[in-house]
Amino acid sequence: MEPWVVATGLIFVYLLVTLVLGMVANRRLSVDLEDFLLYGRRAGFVVLYLTVVATYHSAFAFLGSGGFFFTHGIGFWDAGAWTVLVGAITYVLGSRIWALGKRFGYVTPADMLADFYESEAVRVATAVISVVFTILYIQVQAKGLGYILSVASDGRISFELGTFILLAVAAIYLMVGGLRAVYWTDVVQGVWMYVAVWVGALVIAWRVFGGPLHLWRRVIAERPDLLTAPGPEGFFSPGMWFGMMVVLSFGIVFQPHIFIRYYTAVSGRTIKALGATTPIFLMSLYIPAALVGLGGALVMPDIAIPDRIFPELLFRYAPPWLTGIILAGATAAAMSTLDSILHANMTVLTRDVYQRYVVRHGSPAHYIMVGRGIVLGLLAVGYVLSITTFNFLVTLVALSGAGALQLMPAILGVCFPTRFLFTRSGVLGGMAAGLVALYVTVVVVPHPLGLHGGVWAVAANFLVTIAVSAVTASPSPATVHRIHGAIERYVYGDGSVSS
Amino acid sequence: MPPAHHDDPPHFRSHYLPRTRAGRVSTVLFLLLFALTQPPLVFLLANRIRPVILGMPFLYVYLLAIYVALIGVLLYAYRRKV
Repeated sequence: MEPWVVATGLIFVYLLVTLVLGMVANRRLSVDLEDFLLYGRRAGFVVLYLTVVATYHSAFAFLGSGGFFFTHGIGFWDAGAWTVLVGAITYVLGSRIWALGKRFGYVTPADMLADFYESEAVRVATAVISVVFTILYIQVQAKGLGYILSVASDGRISFELGTFILLAVAAIYLMVGGLRAVYWTDVVQGVWMYVAVWVGALVIAWRVFGGPLHLWRRVIAERPDLLTAPGPEGFFSPGMWFGMMVVLSFGIVFQPHIFIRYYTAVSGRTIKALGATTPIFLMSLYIPAALVGLGGALVMPDIAIPDRIFPELLFRYAPPWLTGIILAGATAAAMSTLDSILHANMTVLTRDVYQRYVVRHGSPAHYIMVGRGIVLGLLAVGYVLSITTFNFLVTLVALSGAGALQLMPAILGVCFPTRFLFTRSGVLGGMAAGLVALYVTVVVVPHPLGLHGGVWAVAANFLVTIAVSAVTASPSPATVHRIHGAIERYVYGDGSVSS
Repeated sequence: MPPAHHDDPPHFRSHYLPRTRAGRVSTVLFLLLFALTQPPLVFLLANRIRPVILGMPFLYVYLLAIYVALIGVLLYAYRRKV
């Protein structure tokens, strides 16, 4: 049997598995909006663990990280720092977000911020930032998916058709089974992608170099320029090292597809267990990525597109059946992020826009139907964005990584009681200043003084938030007492989230 | 003075400073170890290939060891119910 038949066939087997899981999830679905959007706030440790790690790691982790090691060398190992920080943020901040969600019934990030700051403007600003800066990731993941299927089939399935097939599969199981389907498929996808990266990298290391240690020895001897910062092209300067750590930890956690997961946990202890242990998965995924990227730099130094180093090495050095399984793992990495982004955007648009401003008192079945319609709309938008190149999109994608980071002061103001309170005017002014600064420091004057534009932006955001909050009215005492009081009781009181 | 909303809002002790011993130990250890992974310390202390450790370059092993230690701090905090 030809290699492309094996590789493509295995990817379709994987897609079938995800569709079956979506159908099974549908049989457990009740006509309950909280069940459809938030898994009924009953996600246990194993399911939550695998959905968080599978969602965090996208097509970028599978394809892009190898490309980064290939081009910029070991500086990308800074990724370990930001993945460990994601664990700490989940531990400290995620458990507080869970407690507030449980106590006050929040569904989206905007629910929490609008309640504390007593402002519909804060709700709208949060919803807009949540959607605009993540909807573009649909495009990124969809492009990765189209590319994987096109490569696996040796060009027999076009990029456009591959993108459509995989977007459609993700949208179908999301519409059928809601967040439960996303979580269940993420369990399979999380395990599959992790095993696939490790097996693929080790197979390449053994077949090409005689083992990982032999690979390291050759890199030390032949490409020492890849083994210190800032790397061959000077990318990992101190400012970029620090900036990527900030943007890819806080910036990702504050995106709605991760943030909403904190609401879904069955308990606060589950979130803390998640925070303490997810870095093991998140960080260790980059160990084989280093082998792929650095090994690839030795044996295929002239490859035109570095992000393709992993599949290119597989096609050259691994058996077809293994290549198929591993590319299915790459598909899993992209789909597990894509379905979560589709779900998060559906949740934000249904809850913060439709339910708030269009039909306020519909039935759960009505909102579930609307949510499914929104998924179809997002599917269409994602597909068009994937197969079309707009110049303004390139700019927006460049901004998107640090976009959600601009919610940071507002979120900290809710979750960390302190004597100095942020105000609605403060956080709105901060978000506006942060977004303007982000545009200037990423697009107009990229990364001034070598420091990542996202860091400049969030610094401007904090300064304006603090300055404006100092001279404007705080949230009402009743609201501060209600929300900060709940946090105080949960963290330092009896640990309860009841009133 | 900022204008009051209705009455002065209630004040809670800052949550930025941990109040328990295990909380303080976890926070200080995490911040110290994390600082070792970031500029300027990582560039001053570890941005080199040699000594090669177990066949791997120094910077790689240095960072891996600190990442494992950081996860250890998170597990310590979890066990102590911080």
